[in-house]
Amino acid sequence: MNQASQMMTGNLAAAWGARLADVDYVPAFPITPQTEIVETLSKWCAGGELNARFVTLDSEHSMMTAAGAASATGARVFTATSSQGLLHAFEVLYTVAGWRVPFVLVNVSRALASPITLEPDHNDVLAARDSGFLQIHAETCQEVVDSILMAYRIAEDPRVCLPVMVNLDGFVLSFTREPVVLPEPAMVHEFLPPFRPAHLGFKASAPHALGTAVVGGSIYTYFRHQIHLASMNGLAVYDEAAAAFERICGRRYAAIDGYRLDDAEDVLVMTNASASKGKAAVDAAREEGRRVGLLRLRLIRPWPAEAIRDALQGRRAVAVLDQNLAPGQGGILFQEIAACLYHEALRPRALCSFIGGLGGKNLSEGEFRAIFEQTAEAGVRGKGIGPVLLYTEAEHREMQQMQYLAHELKTGR
Amino acid sequence: MLSIRFHGRGGQGAKTASRIVGTAAFLEGFTAQDSPIYGAERRGAPVAAFTRIAKKPIRERGLIARPDLVVVADASLIGDPSARVLDGVDERTVLFVNSPLTPDQLRARTSVSGRLTVLDLTDLALKQFGKRGAISALLGAVAGRLAGLRPESIREAIVRELTDLGLTAPVIERNQALAMQCFEAVQPVTLEPGPRAPVPSAQLRTPTYDPPTRGTAGITAGPNSAIRSVSGWRTFRPVLRPDLCNGCWLCFASCPEGAITIKPDGKPAVYYPHCKGCLDCVEVCPTDAMTVEREPEGANK
Amino acid sequence: MTWEPHIFKDLHQIPREEHVFPGTPLCAGCGGLESLRLASKVLGSNVVYVNAAGCFTNLAAFPFTPLDASWLYTTMGSAPAGAQGVRDALDVLIAKGRLPKEEDVKVVVLGGDGSTYDMALSSTSGAITRKLDFYYFCYDNEAYGNTGVQLSPATPYGARTATSPCAVRHPAGTMQEKKDIFEIWRAHKPPYIATVSPRYPLDLEEKFARAAQYSGPKLFLAFAACPTGWLFDPAYTPDVAKLAVECGIWPLKEAINGEVVHTYLPKRQPVEHYLKLQGRFRHLFEPTVQTDAIAHIQERVNTYWRDVT
Repeated sequence: MNQASQMMTGNLAAAWGARLADVDYVPAFPITPQTEIVETLSKWCAGGELNARFVTLDSEHSMMTAAGAASATGARVFTATSSQGLLHAFEVLYTVAGWRVPFVLVNVSRALASPITLEPDHNDVLAARDSGFLQIHAETCQEVVDSILMAYRIAEDPRVCLPVMVNLDGFVLSFTREPVVLPEPAMVHEFLPPFRPAHLGFKASAPHALGTAVVGGSIYTYFRHQIHLASMNGLAVYDEAAAAFERICGRRYAAIDGYRLDDAEDVLVMTNASASKGKAAVDAAREEGRRVGLLRLRLIRPWPAEAIRDALQGRRAVAVLDQNLAPGQGGILFQEIAACLYHEALRPRALCSFIGGLGGKNLSEGEFRAIFEQTAEAGVRGKGIGPVLLYTEAEHREMQQMQYLAHELKTGR
Repeated sequence: MLSIRFHGRGGQGAKTASRIVGTAAFLEGFTAQDSPIYGAERRGAPVAAFTRIAKKPIRERGLIARPDLVVVADASLIGDPSARVLDGVDERTVLFVNSPLTPDQLRARTSVSGRLTVLDLTDLALKQFGKRGAISALLGAVAGRLAGLRPESIREAIVRELTDLGLTAPVIERNQALAMQCFEAVQPVTLEPGPRAPVPSAQLRTPTYDPPTRGTAGITAGPNSAIRSVSGWRTFRPVLRPDLCNGCWLCFASCPEGAITIKPDGKPAVYYPHCKGCLDCVEVCPTDAMTVEREPEGANK
Repeated sequence: MTWEPHIFKDLHQIPREEHVFPGTPLCAGCGGLESLRLASKVLGSNVVYVNAAGCFTNLAAFPFTPLDASWLYTTMGSAPAGAQGVRDALDVLIAKGRLPKEEDVKVVVLGGDGSTYDMALSSTSGAITRKLDFYYFCYDNEAYGNTGVQLSPATPYGARTATSPCAVRHPAGTMQEKKDIFEIWRAHKPPYIATVSPRYPLDLEEKFARAAQYSGPKLFLAFAACPTGWLFDPAYTPDVAKLAVECGIWPLKEAINGEVVHTYLPKRQPVEHYLKLQGRFRHLFEPTVQTDAIAHIQERVNTYWRDVT
C-alpha cells in the first residue's frame, strides 16, 4: 500500500478525485478560482490518463445542463464551477436534481457580485442549499479528493440518486498546496462500484420520457417530496459510505467533525477551510483556560440534525460563524442550527451569530478571541447575541480613507 | 357569499365570462373576486374560472370546491373526468349547461342531476355571427341572470371586458345584443349559498420513498397519450364522403394530430376520438370530399 | 438552379407509421405539431427529443407522452447543451462498450422561436461550433406562445402581440423586423439548414431525409401557423401556411455546407393575402388601411427575393 503523500492544491485534489472516480465525461467552463480543475482534467483527457470526454461549453448554464443530460444518459459525470458560474446555472441545479441524476459538482466558493470580487465566502454554495443537490464541505485538500469519491458512492446509491456538490474554499484551499495521500486505484475500485444506473439511459429499445411537465399541485408535491426523501436517505447512505471509506482507505469523515468537544462549555460552529483556523483558536483559548470546542459541519445537505443536536445539547453557549450574509436576515447556518436545537430540552443557554470572512476577509486571531469572549458572556447571561459582524476598527478607518479617495479628493484633471 | 364556477374549453370564453360577472357584481357595489385556472392545455382543452360575489370582504382564494352555481360552456365537458365539472355539486347547486338538449334529455345522457338550466348558446352564436368563436358575453349574461345581477351592469361589464380583449366596438355591440337576449331567455333562480356541513379534518399521508424509476416525473409506458379522447374539443367534425375522395392523402399529411389513418384501400378515415375538430383536413381537401358537420352535443362521441 | 426532390415525389410516399401519437394537449390546428408529426415520420422512433421550454413542453405531461421515442425536458436556454450531454454520453458509452451500437439514438432538440432566436442562442451557437451531431427543430410561431403570445425576436413587422399592442404611437403593432436566424445559423457553417412548412409536406420530408446523410448540426426552421396566437380559425392553419410561402414571406430553402438553394419559387401573391387571414394583422386593414405598413412588409419581401434570385 503506497501511502506516500504529495503536495497538491485543493484544485488539483479535486481533479484527482474525478480521475480516480474514472469519470466518463467532463463538461467544463472556466471561472476563477476553479479553472485549474478543468485545465488539469483537459490535459488528462487529452493525454489519455483519464478515459473521459472533455468538452468546453458556452456557459455554466449549458455546462450544468450537459452534465445532467450526460448523467441521464448513463455516463459518470464530473464538473466544477464557482460563484457567479454556480448562480448562472441556478435553474439547472433544480432541474437536474429533479431528473435524479447522480453526478458530482465541485464548487470552489467565491463571494458573489456585486461588488464583484474573487475571494471566498459561502453565499454561492449556500444559495444552492434548496436545489436538491447534496452538499459536502471540505476543510483540507485531502478531504477534497476523498469527499469526491464518497460523493459518487452516495449519489449513485439507488436510495439517493441525486447530484452531490463538494465545496472547497477559493484561494485558501483551491490554490493552497498541502500534503495529500491519493487512494490507490484498487482501493477506489473496491469503494466505488461501476456506474450502471437502472433508471437512466436513452436507448433505442427502451424509450422513456424524463423531466416531464406536471399539471396540478398534488402531482408536483409528490415528486418534490420524493427529492426530499431521497436527500434524507442520504444521511444513512453517507454514514455507510464513511464507514466503508475508513475501512478501505483508512480515513474517517463523519457528517460532522467535532474538535475538543468532550468537556467544552461553549462551542463554535464553522464550515470549510477556515475551520482549521478555528481549531487553532480553540487550542489558544484552551491554553487560557476557556473550555471551548469546535463543531465543523461537513454534510450540509441532507442536514444532519440529530448529530448536530447530540453535539450541541447541554452546552452553555453556541456560536455560529457564518461566512455568508443573508441580507435582511443574518447568517444562514445560524438559522438552521437554531431551528434544530429548539426542541432540545438541554438546548444551549445562548445562541450567538457571527458573520465573518466575507469576500475572503481574514478571520484573525483577535476576531476568534472576540467570538469566544462574547459567547462566554452570552452563555453566562443566558441570552444570545447577533448577528455580530466581524469587522474591525482598523478596517473601518481604511475604508473611510478609500471613501475619501473615491468621493472627496479632487485631484483636478 | 355566492360562488360561481365556470367550465369551458380554451377559446370558448369561460375566463372572460367569469370576469364579466365579476365586473358586473363590482359595478353593483358587491365585493367581487374572479380568477382563472389553466392546465397545460390550450384552445379546446378544459379550463375553469371562478367568480365570488359577496357583501363583505371575501376570505377565500383560488378554486371553488363547492360552487353555488356551475356554468358549463360545453356539455361534452360533463363526461370528461379531467374537467371535474360536477366536483362539489350537490342538490342545492344550480347548473347551467350550454346545449341544444332539453334538461331531461341532458339528465338522461349525462350524470347531471339537480337544478338544471339549459340554453343552446352555440346555436345562437352560430346564427348571429356565422362562425364558431368565443361565447363569453353570452355565458356571462346567463350567469349574471342566474346570480341575480342587473341587466345594465351586465351590459357595461361586457363592454369593459371585451374592450380589454381588444375587440372593436361593432363586435362588442353584436355580442352585447345577443348576450341580453340570453339574459332574458333564462329565468332567475334562487341560489342557496347558506352554510354547509362542516368539513372533516383532512386524512394526511406522508408518501414513502419510491426508487427513481417511479419517484421522478418520467414515463416509460409511452406512447400512451392516445388513450385520451379529445373528442370533446370539437364543435364541428370532419366527415368524409368516400365517393368524392380521390385518395390524394393531403388530409392525412395535414392532420396535426395524426387522427386520420389510411385504410388498406388507400383511402383516409377519421378516427374521431383523436380528432380535435380543427378542420384542417376540410380546408386542404381538393375535391371537397371532407365535409363539416356540427357536433351533436351531449351525444356519446 | 432548380431544386428537385430525390426521394419524396408523391404524397403517397409519406410513411403511414406514426411516431407522434394523438391525444396531446396542444391546441387544435397547431402548425408546429403538424410539422413535428411529419418530421418524425422520417426521423423514426430511435430518437431522444431534448426539449426547451415552450408550447411543446406540454407534449409530455405526466403521465402521458405522445412519443414512441425518448424525451428530456431541459430549460428554455439550454436544450442544445442538453443535446450535447446526451450525444457525448452516448458516444462515450458506445466507445467503452457499455451501450451496444444498435441502441444508439438520434438527438433532436425541440425549441420554439423564443428559445431559438434569443435565450438559447448562446447554447445553440456553442453546439454548432462544436460540430455537435444533432438535429435542431424550431417550431416558429413568431411569439412567446406558451405564455400567451408576447413579442419574440421572431415576431414580424406589423404584428400585434400581447406586448406589442397597436397604440397611438405604434399604430402598426411592432416595428421590429424578424430576426434572421437562418443566416445566423449559416454564419456558423453547419452542414445542413432548411426552412420547412407543413403545407409543403414533400418538401419537408425530403429535407429531413436529405439531412440524415450529414453528420453535425442539422437545423430546421418550421413554420408554425398558430391559430391561438395569430387569431385565426384553426381550420385556416393550412391556408396561412400556404400563403406564407406563396406570398414570399416564408421562403422554402436549404443550405448545404452554406450554399443556399430555394427549394420552391413562389409566384409571390401580394402580402395582403397572407396578412388579411390573421387577427394579429387586422389593425393594418381596419378601421383604416395602414398602407405604409403593408407597403413596408411588401417591400421587405421584394427586397429579399431581389437579392436571392
